[in-house]
Amino acid sequence: MIEFRDVGKRFADGTVALESLSFTARDGEITVLVGPSGCGKTTSLRMVNRMIDPTSGSVLLQGADVADADPALLRRGIGYVIQQAGLFPHRRVLDNVATVPVLQGLSRRDARARAAELLERVGLDSALAQRYPAQLSGGQQQRVGVARALAGDAPVLLMDEPFSAVDPVVRVELQDELLRLQADLGKTILFVTHDIDEAIRLGDRVAVLRVGGRLAQFAPPDELLAHPADEFVTGFVGRDRGYRRLGFVPAASLALVDLPTVRDGADSGNGAAPGEWTVLLDGADRPAAWLAPDGGRHDLGSVYVTDAGGAVQDGAGTLRGALDAALSSPARCGVAVDADGRYRGGVAADDVLALLERDAGRAVR
Amino acid sequence: MRAFGYDIGQLVVAHVALAVVPVLAGLLLALPVGFWAHRSPAARRVIVPLSGALYTIPSLALIVVMPIILGTGILSPVNVGVTLTIYTLALLVRSVAEALDAVPGTVTTAAVAMGYRSAGLLFAVQLPLAVPVLIAGLRVASVSAFSLVTVGALVGIDSLGTLMTSGFEQDYPQMVAAGIVGSLVLAFVFDALWLGLGRVLTPWSRARTGV
Ligand SMILES: Nc1ncnc2c1ncn2[C@@H]1O[C@H](COP(=O)(O)OP(=O)(O)OP(=O)(O)O)[C@@H](O)[C@H]1O
Ligand SMILES: [Mg+2]
Repeated sequence: MIEFRDVGKRFADGTVALESLSFTARDGEITVLVGPSGCGKTTSLRMVNRMIDPTSGSVLLQGADVADADPALLRRGIGYVIQQAGLFPHRRVLDNVATVPVLQGLSRRDARARAAELLERVGLDSALAQRYPAQLSGGQQQRVGVARALAGDAPVLLMDEPFSAVDPVVRVELQDELLRLQADLGKTILFVTHDIDEAIRLGDRVAVLRVGGRLAQFAPPDELLAHPADEFVTGFVGRDRGYRRLGFVPAASLALVDLPTVRDGADSGNGAAPGEWTVLLDGADRPAAWLAPDGGRHDLGSVYVTDAGGAVQDGAGTLRGALDAALSSPARCGVAVDADGRYRGGVAADDVLALLERDAGRAVR
Repeated sequence: MRAFGYDIGQLVVAHVALAVVPVLAGLLLALPVGFWAHRSPAARRVIVPLSGALYTIPSLALIVVMPIILGTGILSPVNVGVTLTIYTLALLVRSVAEALDAVPGTVTTAAVAMGYRSAGLLFAVQLPLAVPVLIAGLRVASVSAFSLVTVGALVGIDSLGTLMTSGFEQDYPQMVAAGIVGSLVLAFVFDALWLGLGRVLTPWSRARTGV
């Protein structure tokens, strides 16, 4: 548990980065600090491992004031990932990851064994272990940064915009990877970003900060989207929050509809006009394409995964995933699949909306 | 090997010792001073101009006043050694400060966050990363030391410069030429040595375009 108690910071030049910040990051959760540039996110984060000391108030880690800890020892027990990874250019990937175990007193051999284990854990090929950081892509470097932060086996992880320097596609991959890791490891993570989408995607709880480190709202992401505390938060969470909130509404009671299907290789699979929109399935029952009434092949659109089976997958099992599948389909009806990608049925936009109406009706009553 | 009435081997050894020892001593002194300049902007505002000024003092003048300052004999090689140490120091202070400045802030921040204390940070992270800039400075200092050693011959301190001065007195151009070529060759050999040392110490810096 990381507890901020009335924490204030005034820098030597008079800048007040934090006025008085209080919140608690719970054990085993990802707590996200989000807010505009200069609102004091990095300052707050660095107070946890004493790279910055508060000028008032205190930061408690597992109930103990960090001000009483030896800074270097404290830091060896807290993982830290910074923007652009900050890898040591002169050390091979494996030795970068082994840094903290070596500082903690492990022999180089044991530290390297541990590092190799972690590289595998964050999804990096072991062939990369002997490279220098400059020989990795941005996304790979960021993964090494995460592995390095995990190598000390710290229960607490601080992450300062770790994924902001990579392109959006890689960013989503890295976010998924983090969620997958977190599902296994259950670390206490304090995560800083200025990207509200990232905050909502990753956070168990999200602290929205204004300039001066004033807490505008501290809530789970669906609550942030459903009930923004004020205009600042409303403006910050963005315009289509109603739609995005659907990503937190489970679609368990959504009934799937039956769609006409045809197996690839069967007569109508090869150009014959089926006369209505039909789902083309491959040999393993996985949807491959839509066949238009005139027989033309069309892309499926986004498919709705009814249940990712514990894996991290955007939109899986939620109304957002279902609605998106329906809206992106050329046939006006989305295709639903199970965790293995096998055809389950169709999703009609009307059914999703009806479910929403029913929920809204219940809320009114 | 004897030539021109001198033991050339001895002159070469003297020449190398007089150049290399001060370069290494100057480097050793420049490290803490340069580190100080890197850390403290106030110190830097004094140290950098001061070392620049030091370098503008004519070498002969320094060699000549050294016996007065140090109480050494006028023919002592120490006079040349200390003079060249001062020049190297003057040249390298700035290199050291700039080499440390050049270490990316994200890297030092990450190192501090991992739990390095300041000594560990310096020796395990900052200095290794400063090697390319340091070697560049060291090469300049070394070449300049190899040529300045010859000035000592003017006041009777033996080196390959002795071939130049006494060749000049005897109106013996081949002897002068041998002195010049010899000291150039030595300077180049040691330049190549520093370059090689830099490459051995920084396998990572050539990894940039790999793969
Ligand atoms: N060492 C310092 N000296 C003076 N002011 C500082 C210092 N470090 C940060 N600040 C100021 O404190 C405020 C908060 O800075 P901080 O780095 O915490 O912002 P941030 O929320 O992380 O912003 P960003 O999203 O741009 O990274 C800013 O106004 C910044 O200029
Ligand atoms: Mg920041």
